[in-house]
Amino acid sequence: MRIESNLKWHILLILALFISLMPIVFAVSTSFKELSEAYSNVLGIIPDKPTLSNYLRIFQELPLNKITFNTLVVAATVTIFKVITSVMAAYAFVYFDFKGKNLLYFILISTIFIPFTMTMIPNYLIISQIGLRNNIMGVILPQLSDATGIFLIRQAMRSIPMPLIEAARLEAAGNFQIMANIVLPLVKPAVISTGIMFFINSWNEYVWPVLILKDTTNYTLPLALQLFVSSEGGTDFCLAMAVSVVTMIIPLGLYLIFQKYIINTFTSSGVKG
Amino acid sequence: MKKKFGNKDVWIAYGLILPALLVFAIFMFYPFFYTVYLSFFDWNMIKPVKEFIGLANYKALFADPLMPLVIKNTVEYILILLVLNCVAPYVLAFVLSFVIKRGRGFYKGAFFLPSVISLVVGSILYLWVLNPVSGPAAILAEFLGINIPIWSKTQGLVIVVLSIITTWKIFGYNFIVIFGGVSGVPQEIIEAAKIDNVPLYKIFFDIVLPMSSATGVYIFIMTIVQGLQYVFTPVKVVTQGGPDNASSNIIYNIYQEGFVFYHTGYASAMSIVAMVLFIVLLVIEFRYVEKGIYYEN
Repeated sequence: MRIESNLKWHILLILALFISLMPIVFAVSTSFKELSEAYSNVLGIIPDKPTLSNYLRIFQELPLNKITFNTLVVAATVTIFKVITSVMAAYAFVYFDFKGKNLLYFILISTIFIPFTMTMIPNYLIISQIGLRNNIMGVILPQLSDATGIFLIRQAMRSIPMPLIEAARLEAAGNFQIMANIVLPLVKPAVISTGIMFFINSWNEYVWPVLILKDTTNYTLPLALQLFVSSEGGTDFCLAMAVSVVTMIIPLGLYLIFQKYIINTFTSSGVKG
Repeated sequence: MKKKFGNKDVWIAYGLILPALLVFAIFMFYPFFYTVYLSFFDWNMIKPVKEFIGLANYKALFADPLMPLVIKNTVEYILILLVLNCVAPYVLAFVLSFVIKRGRGFYKGAFFLPSVISLVVGSILYLWVLNPVSGPAAILAEFLGINIPIWSKTQGLVIVVLSIITTWKIFGYNFIVIFGGVSGVPQEIIEAAKIDNVPLYKIFFDIVLPMSSATGVYIFIMTIVQGLQYVFTPVKVVTQGGPDNASSNIIYNIYQEGFVFYHTGYASAMSIVAMVLFIVLLVIEFRYVEKGIYYEN
């Protein structure tokens, strides 16, 4: 009886998973189909006549190497800066006592809740004024720090036993040594997963780049993808799916490699003091 | 426990925070207040002079015949989103924590997976999957004798589809975080209740929900924040606000006013109204939920 009732739940979970993962399977499958087969053999996962022509065509029709490179530069730069500024700030919030600490922390964390629309027009004006519109630097600049990172890394640092740090201080270790030799190795999983999430989110970012970037050669992958969709109908889904696969392959790969770290960090990131 | 620090240490602390603070000051706090400032002006981003018009933008906004529809669409979207991304993952997290033991790691990993994929990709995937004529969902539904309506031309249904697309993106993250909160409820309490033959739904409502409500509230807020942020992408990629503004919502409208029609002041005023709306939602939520919250610390 026990097993039977569990089976019911497993079926429910599998069904939910099926709904959320099947679109990805269809996308990969369609990207290897010819256009005619995409419409005649919709449900077939393995194409009858697999073809690479969609991939060849998207690289011909678009400067996709340049676009992928742009995406990589944006995501890598944003990630490096976000991680460094988050680790620094988190360290200060955990291991120092100073005036206005709680207020400052509260102000920084509150930025998580500021809607994007409250900042987009002035930021657009700033980036235009300093001549970085239509330039990936203009995409990068407003994203150099992130309150979520400060929050997650601070959580991780707080779980390090304080006596460990005190002991190091007694042995006259400097802040830099404590950070590099004690704190960083212990918060490595949190730093890695936060970094991976920053990278993935920046890789996927659409709203801000679409305001800033105008020329196709300066595009990032999500913007290029949108070129293949026509709301009037007539979208070539085979090409669109091929670009989709190119866009999602790096985030998916990173996720599969670092899955354990990421899941653990977010599982323990709930509201705990 | 903590040691007192000298002056020098304090300056190190400020120095460590400075880079993050600088970025936030320039690209968060200054823009925030500048948006408030701009909402009192008539401007188009290009004219050298901004004309002060007081509250005229706000008055125009409340007189805008499109506004009630836009706000209705936004609220509808958020309500669907909350059901799909707070209620559903809560139930699944409960089941996974206390009812079944096997496959926990697998389910967590698999449910989170779509969260790492671009929403533009998600929009295109669902445009294909939910295509009423040739999409896989339509063909599967045909076996069951169901026709998928032409949602892109149907008021109401468009919002459901938009919600599905953003849910696909948000669900996994919410699920993981809620799972963390739910599995923080001591196993012994659940076991004791099970031995007393307390039905599962009662365990859920009377024990698990109150004891994990701090996480629940966090996820509730984040769903609204993220949901409003994310919805822009599928609207822009899939519907452009159509048909007849049936899928337009306040976020997309701000974008259109600001970056298509160049009504900079008007768009700023609308941003502020959107934020106030959002804060009101939160306050309502807290008035009703806050009393029952159980904080771990």
